[in-house]
Amino acid sequence: MTRLDATRRVVAALERLGNVPIVASLGHPTYDLYTASDRSANFYTWGSMGLASSIGLGLAMARPDLRVFVLDGDGSLLMNLGSLATIGWTRPQNLVVIVWDNQEYGTTGGQQTATAHGTDLEAAAKAVGAAPTATVKSPDALDAALARAIVEPGPWVIVAKVSESTPSAKPPLDCVAIKQRFMAAIGQTEPGTIGGSQ
Amino acid sequence: MTQPEWAAGVCAGLHAAGSRHVVYVPDNPLSHVLRILRERYPDVRTTVATREEEAFGIAAGMYLGGARPTVMLQSSGLGNSLNAVTSLLVPYRIPVLTVISMRGDTGEWNEAQVPMGRAVRAICDAIGIPHVTVETAASAAETVRLAAQTAFGTRTTGACLLPRRITVPPPPHASARA
Repeated sequence: MTRLDATRRVVAALERLGNVPIVASLGHPTYDLYTASDRSANFYTWGSMGLASSIGLGLAMARPDLRVFVLDGDGSLLMNLGSLATIGWTRPQNLVVIVWDNQEYGTTGGQQTATAHGTDLEAAAKAVGAAPTATVKSPDALDAALARAIVEPGPWVIVAKVSESTPSAKPPLDCVAIKQRFMAAIGQTEPGTIGGSQ
Repeated sequence: MTQPEWAAGVCAGLHAAGSRHVVYVPDNPLSHVLRILRERYPDVRTTVATREEEAFGIAAGMYLGGARPTVMLQSSGLGNSLNAVTSLLVPYRIPVLTVISMRGDTGEWNEAQVPMGRAVRAICDAIGIPHVTVETAASAAETVRLAAQTAFGTRTTGACLLPRRITVPPPPHASARA
C-alpha cells in the first residue's frame, strides 16, 4: 500500500462525516493529501516538522465538537515524540492521529528512520496512554481501523505501514490562504479584532 | 501563599484579553502565574507541553479552533521554539500571546542562562516577533492585556518579557538594609 493509496482511503472513509478537519505533516504527507483530494478542511503545513500531531491536539481541545484527523509521518513524529505523552495525558476523545510509517525520511531522499531498525510507534503510543492504537499493513486493515476510529472514542493512534509514493504535485496555496480556507471550512472565524470595534 | 502582584497582573491581563487556553513549559517564576490561574481563573485551561516547540504547535491548533491561546515559557526555551514560530506562526499569521519568563538578565546567578537571555530581544526582532517588557509589577496586567490585544488584533504573535528584577523578589537581607 503506497502512502497515496492509503491517503485516498482516509479521504474516502471521512467523506460521510462531512468536511472534517485533516492536518497534514509537511512534505510528502501534505502533497499526497492534496493529490488525493484538495478538501477545504485540509490544513497543509509547509514547515514546522513534527508539529502536525500537536496542531491536531490543540484543535481537538479547542473544538471538542469536531473529530480531528492528523496525517503524520514516522520521521516527523520521532522529532516530537513528547507529543504522544501530551496526547496520552490530555486524552482528547476526538483526536485521530494516523502515522504514515514508510521507515524513511521520504521527503528528504529516503534516509532510514528509527522505525526501520525496530522502533515501534504503536508501542510508544500505548506506553504513554495515547490509545486506542492499531498498526495496519494492508488496505483492508486500514479501512477497518478507520471505521472504528471514526466512531469510537480516542485519542486514536493508527500506525500505517506504507511505501513511498513519490508525489508529483503540491498545493498551490500560501500559508495564510490555507489557514483562512481551513477555518472557514470548519465554521470558525478568526478571533482577532481586524475590522472590529476600534 | 502570597500572590505576587506581577503574577496576578499577568493572569488578569491575559484573561481580560480573552485568552482561556494557556500552554506552558514551567519555570519557577511562572509557577506563581499557574497557581493563580488554578485558584482564581477556573475558566482558563492550562496544558503542559513536553517542550516549548510543542507548546506553540498546540497553541496554533487552538487558534485554528477559535481560541486566543497563550504560551508561557522560560527564555531558555525560546531556542527550542524557533522552527515552530518561524515556519508556522509567522507565515500562517497565527497569533499566540507569548509570555516569557526571563533568565540571564540582571540578577542572574547561572552563567549557562546568560547567552540566550542576552539574545532574546535580538532573536525576536530578527524573526519578526514584537516584544514588550513588563517594567513594573503594577503595570503587568495592562502590559499583557495590550500585548494580547495587539497580537490577536493584528494576527501577529507577540511576546511579553518578564524580567527577573520583577519576578524574583530580593532576598530578605537586601530589603532589611534599605
